[in-house]
Amino acid sequence: MKLGVFVSDFALTTDTLERFKADKLGIILVQNGVYHATTKENGKASSLLDKTPNLYALSEDIQIRGMKDADVDKRVKVVNYGDVVDLIFNEYDKIAWL
Amino acid sequence: MGNLTIGCYPGLVGSMTYDFALKLADAAATKGHKVSIWFSGNATGSVKANQKHLKDYSTGEKYLKALLEKGVEICTCEACTVARGVKKDEGIPGIQWNAMHWYLAKIYSADRVLLIGGE
Repeated sequence: MKLGVFVSDFALTTDTLERFKADKLGIILVQNGVYHATTKENGKASSLLDKTPNLYALSEDIQIRGMKDADVDKRVKVVNYGDVVDLIFNEYDKIAWL
Repeated sequence: MGNLTIGCYPGLVGSMTYDFALKLADAAATKGHKVSIWFSGNATGSVKANQKHLKDYSTGEKYLKALLEKGVEICTCEACTVARGVKKDEGIPGIQWNAMHWYLAKIYSADRVLLIGGE
């Protein structure tokens, strides 16, 4: 199963993510979840970004927090709402919200 | 085109979750997808008509009306809504009032379901 997971908070939800069994896992960072893509602690990026190569962050939620798309970790693709809709319908069979 | 059902559970008016649900619905409807939204919990307070739109304050009515015009189906949990003191004749025209079976039927027929809860 291809599973897309929305992460909406800047908290490590790795325990929950690791319980998901997916052939393909995508993480879509929205709301305060976008801080995973922009914030480094002691020079290290969020460990959430190591969970999958399929990482996305919502541009509007980045910019509304005073950050730029350029501040985003290079592994994360910046997307808009239309892109999110395409991810939902074209890339993942199931979607979940954390 | 696909069929997306969004369950918007806690979403207080003005909350990030509520706004996200409406913006996602708008984007999906703009792309031609069929979209249904189910309001439960505090999200049901947003179906009351004649909301005052204050500057820089997020309210639902204007956005909800625009979604209805785009063909998005919106339904509020009747029990949650009346429990918050909103009567049916005070609601935004076009928004449906029903019980959980409406949401279950939409889930059953949807290609994708996104349940947004817990804020």
